[in-house]
Amino acid sequence: MSLPDSPSQPPQRLALEMRQISKSFGPTQVLRDVDFALRPGEIHALMGENGAGKSTLMKIAGGLIEDFEGQILVDGQPVHLASPRDATRAGIAMIHQELSLVPELQVDENIFLGQEKLQSLFLVDRRNQIQAARDVLRTLDFQGKVQVPVSQLRVGEQQLIEIAKALVAKARILIMDEATSALSINETDRLFQVIRRLAEEGVAIVYISHRMEEVFALAHTVTVLRDGRRIGTVPGKDATRRELIRMMVGREIQEMLAEDKSATRTAKPMLEVRNLSLEHPAPTPSRPMLVQDISFSVGAGEVFGLGGLLGAGRTEVLQVLYGLHPGTSDGNIWIEGKPVQILGPVQAKARGIALVTEDRKRDGLVLSAGIDRNIGLPVMRTLTHLGIVLPGKEKELATSIIRQLNIHARDPEQVTGSLSGGNQQKVVVGKCLVTKPRVFLLDEPTRGIDVGAKAEIYRLIGQLADQGLAIVLVSSELPELMLLCDRILVLREGRPTALLDRSEFSQETILEYASPGGAIQPEFLKLETTV
Amino acid sequence: MKGIGTAAGNFLLKTKLFWGLAVLYGAGIVLSPVNRKGVNIFLEPGNQADVLRQVSNNGIIAVGMTLVILTGGIDLSVGSMMALGCMLCAMLLTLTGWTAASVTSIPILAIVSVFLCSYLVPLVATNLRRGSARPVEQAGMTTRLLGLVLGVVVAASLVWWTTSQLQTKFGVLSVLITVPAVGLAIGGLTGLIISKGRLQPFIVTLAMMVAILGVARLLGGETAAVYPVYTGSNATDQFDILRALVLQVIPVPGIFFLVAVLTFGFILKYTSFGRYIYAIGGNEQAARLAGIRVDQIKTAVYAIAGMLASLAGVLYTAQYRQGKPDAGTGAELDAIAAVVIGGTNLMGGKGSMTGTFVGVLIFGFLTNILLLKNINSNIQFVLKGAIILAAVLLQEGQIGLWWKRLRARTKKVSTDGPRKDEVHFLQKLR
Repeated sequence: MSLPDSPSQPPQRLALEMRQISKSFGPTQVLRDVDFALRPGEIHALMGENGAGKSTLMKIAGGLIEDFEGQILVDGQPVHLASPRDATRAGIAMIHQELSLVPELQVDENIFLGQEKLQSLFLVDRRNQIQAARDVLRTLDFQGKVQVPVSQLRVGEQQLIEIAKALVAKARILIMDEATSALSINETDRLFQVIRRLAEEGVAIVYISHRMEEVFALAHTVTVLRDGRRIGTVPGKDATRRELIRMMVGREIQEMLAEDKSATRTAKPMLEVRNLSLEHPAPTPSRPMLVQDISFSVGAGEVFGLGGLLGAGRTEVLQVLYGLHPGTSDGNIWIEGKPVQILGPVQAKARGIALVTEDRKRDGLVLSAGIDRNIGLPVMRTLTHLGIVLPGKEKELATSIIRQLNIHARDPEQVTGSLSGGNQQKVVVGKCLVTKPRVFLLDEPTRGIDVGAKAEIYRLIGQLADQGLAIVLVSSELPELMLLCDRILVLREGRPTALLDRSEFSQETILEYASPGGAIQPEFLKLETTV
Repeated sequence: MKGIGTAAGNFLLKTKLFWGLAVLYGAGIVLSPVNRKGVNIFLEPGNQADVLRQVSNNGIIAVGMTLVILTGGIDLSVGSMMALGCMLCAMLLTLTGWTAASVTSIPILAIVSVFLCSYLVPLVATNLRRGSARPVEQAGMTTRLLGLVLGVVVAASLVWWTTSQLQTKFGVLSVLITVPAVGLAIGGLTGLIISKGRLQPFIVTLAMMVAILGVARLLGGETAAVYPVYTGSNATDQFDILRALVLQVIPVPGIFFLVAVLTFGFILKYTSFGRYIYAIGGNEQAARLAGIRVDQIKTAVYAIAGMLASLAGVLYTAQYRQGKPDAGTGAELDAIAAVVIGGTNLMGGKGSMTGTFVGVLIFGFLTNILLLKNINSNIQFVLKGAIILAAVLLQEGQIGLWWKRLRARTKKVSTDGPRKDEVHFLQKLR
C-alpha cells in the first residue's frame, strides 16, 4: 500500500507522530497502542463512532491530557506536551467543537490573545495588531469587520477567527474537531477552501468529523478508530462510504431509506401556531424581530421540519413554544384544538410539550448526576409519595428507558457525564419521553453523534410519529431534514419563506428559500408586504 | 486479586473523610495531656461533650449552608442572622412589653405561619393518595381555602399566645418558635431576591450580611448593648434546658445539631426536594427546562439556611447567657469551611450531609486539640487555615495529580527514533 499523494512535495519528515498511545480513564481504557502519523500539507481525517477515542487522542496532541503512555514527536523531535501552552510552542493548534473565543473582546484582541503585539513593556500596540489581524484575515477571505466584538460575528466567521489565531501562533499542525457542526452549507464550502489552501502551504491538518461527505471532499488520508484502537488508515480517494462505516461500526449498516408515510398521516392537527413572534434584544432595520409571523399546524403523527441557515430563528421558534421567552414573545397556540398559554417550562410540560435542546451538555443534562436521576427529574412527582422518593422507582424507570432507547450504560446509576455523546443524547430524549408528551420539539437531535446512534434516533422519531405525536424538528443537516420530515417550513431571518411538501424537497430548493436575497413563495410574499 | 485491591482502594477513597477524622481523633488521644489521676483529658466524657457542644452552633449553620452550596449558591448572611437570632432571643427573654424585638418578630411569625399553612396544606392534601401526585396548582379551591383558613387560625393563636407572654417575658418554647420564624422569613426574602432577580448569591447575601447585622445592632438600641440573660433572675428558669446535658453526657445543642443533620440528610437523600437541590446545583438550566420550579427551590433553601442560623443564635444565647450583636462574627466562614472540608463542591451538585457532619467534627476536634495543647490562639488560626487548604486539596485529588505530573516531567524521553523491537506502522503501511 502506498501513501496517498499529497499536493506538495512528498516530505521526508512527519509533522506529527504519535507512537503507541494508551490512555485510560479509571477502569475504562479509551486508547490502546494507537499510532498516528501526520505529514506536512496533509489533510488527515480522523473518524470513528463516539467513544472511539478520537477526541482523547487529539486532546493528548493538544496538551490537554498529560498522563498517558506513549510518545509524541513533532518534526521528528520527541516532545513533552503537558499543557496547551507546550502544544502551542510545538506548533500545534486546536479548534474545538465549542469555540474558545472571548465573546466580548474584539476580533484582533481575540486573535492576539496571549501573544499581544506590545509597544513597550506592557502597552498593547492596537494599531499594529489590527493591521496584522487584517492581513491574516485577508488570506482567509474574511469579509467582516475587525474592530467589533466577536459575539457580533456569525459562527462561520468566528471559525475563521479561530484559524487566524492558530496562524498567528505559527501553527504548523491544525486540529479541527467537528468544525462544521454549526455551519451552513455556504460557510462550510468557504471553510473547506481555506483548509485546502492551508494544506497547500504545508500546514498539516487533522480533521475530526462525523460527516462522511466532508471527509470525501477534503481528506487525503483517513484514519479510523474503534474502541480505542486504530482500525486502519486508508487514502481518502480510495475510501468508500461502505468501507468506512464498516471500519467504524464493525458491522454493515443499512443506509436509511426514506419511506413516504405522508399518506398515512391523519389530518387532525395536534399543534397549531398562529402569528408567532419574538422580539429582538438588539433590533436592526434588516432584522426587527428574531421571529416574525410564523404560523403552521402539525398533525398528529406528522414530522414537521423547520429549515433555514444558522440564526434564521428556528431554535427560537421552539423556545417560544416551550415558554422560554415569556413577555417578549407573542402569538397563539392550540393543542388538540384547545387554546393554551405557555409561560414557562412548567406549563409546557403540563400541556404535553417536550423539548430536546440543541446543546445537551448546557441545557439537557445534569452531567454530575446518574442516568436515573436525570430521567426521573421531570417526573419526580410520579416517583414520590408526599415528597419522599419511592424506593427503586427511579431505577425502574431508568432501566425501562435504557432498554427502550438502547442506551449503552454499565448500570442505571452511571453518571451521565461519562457517557458518549450519542448515549447522552438518548438520555435527553428519554428524559422527555417519560413526561408522555403530545408535542415533541427536537432541536438538532443528532448534532455531534455517531452514525449508529443517529440511525437509532431516526428510527425513534419515526416510531413516535407513528404513536400519534406531533413532532417539530430543527436540523442543519438538510439530508436529515428531508429524510425525516413530511413538510418543511423554511425560515429566513426570522420570517417564513416557503412551506414545502415532500415532493418538493431538494437541497437546492431549501437553500434557495433559506438564503438571503433568495426566492419567497407567493403566500409568504404577500405577508411580508403587509408587515 | 487486583479486583479486590481496587475495590478496597475505592472503599478507602470513598471513606477517606472518615479516615481523616479517625486519624485526627487518634492524634487527639496521643497528643492530649494527662491529668493528675492519669486520665487522658481528650478522652474524658466531659471533654467529648464539650466538643459536641462547641461544634453544635457551627454544625447547625453548616447544615443549612450545605443545602445552599449544593444548589451552587453561597450564603454569607448566616453569621449576621445568628447575631440577629441571638439579640432577638435575649430581648424576648429578658424584656417585657412591646420592645423592638417583639414588635418586629410577632407580625413576622404571623405572616410566616399563614404562608406555610396555605402552601403546605394543599401540597400535602393533593398528594395524600399514593401514586396520584399532582402539582399544587391543581389543588381544589376548597383545599386552598382550607390551608388559608388554617394558616389564619394558627397565626391568630400564635399571636395571642405570644402577646399574652409579653408581660411575663417569653418562655423557651415561644422563643424557639418565634426566632427561627424570623430567620426563615429573612432567609426566604434573600432567596427571593436571588432567584427572581437572577442575581449572584454572593453579592446578595453579602448585602444581606451587612444589613442584617445593622438590624441586630439597631435592636439593641443606642448603646448596642449586650443583654445578659440570667435564668432565674431576669429570664425564665426553663431556658437553662438549652444548655443542659441529657443523660449527663449529651449537651442539648448537640441534640439540635444531630436532629438537623438527620432531618436534612434524609431530605437531601430521599425526597424530591433533595433531588431538585442536586439537579439545580449540577445544571440549573437543565433543571429549569425539566419543568422544575427552580426559583421556589432556591428560595426555600435560603429560607432554611436563615432559619437554622437564627436557631443557632438562640442556642448561643443559652450557652453564653447573653445576647450580643457580634455573636455570629465569622460564623459563615466557619460553616463554609466545614462544608468544604466535608467534600461538598462549591460549584454545587456534589456533596452530602454526611460529609458536612464529618467536616464539622474534624473542625471541632481540631480546635479542641489545639486548645488542650494550649497553643497560642493566633497560631491556631494559621493552623486551621492550613488544614482547610490541605483538606480541600485532598478532596479534589489534586495532590495525586501533582505527583504524577512531577514524575512525567522527570521521566527521560528517548531521543533515538523508534524502538528496535517495534516495527514502525508507517513501514507496515508502505
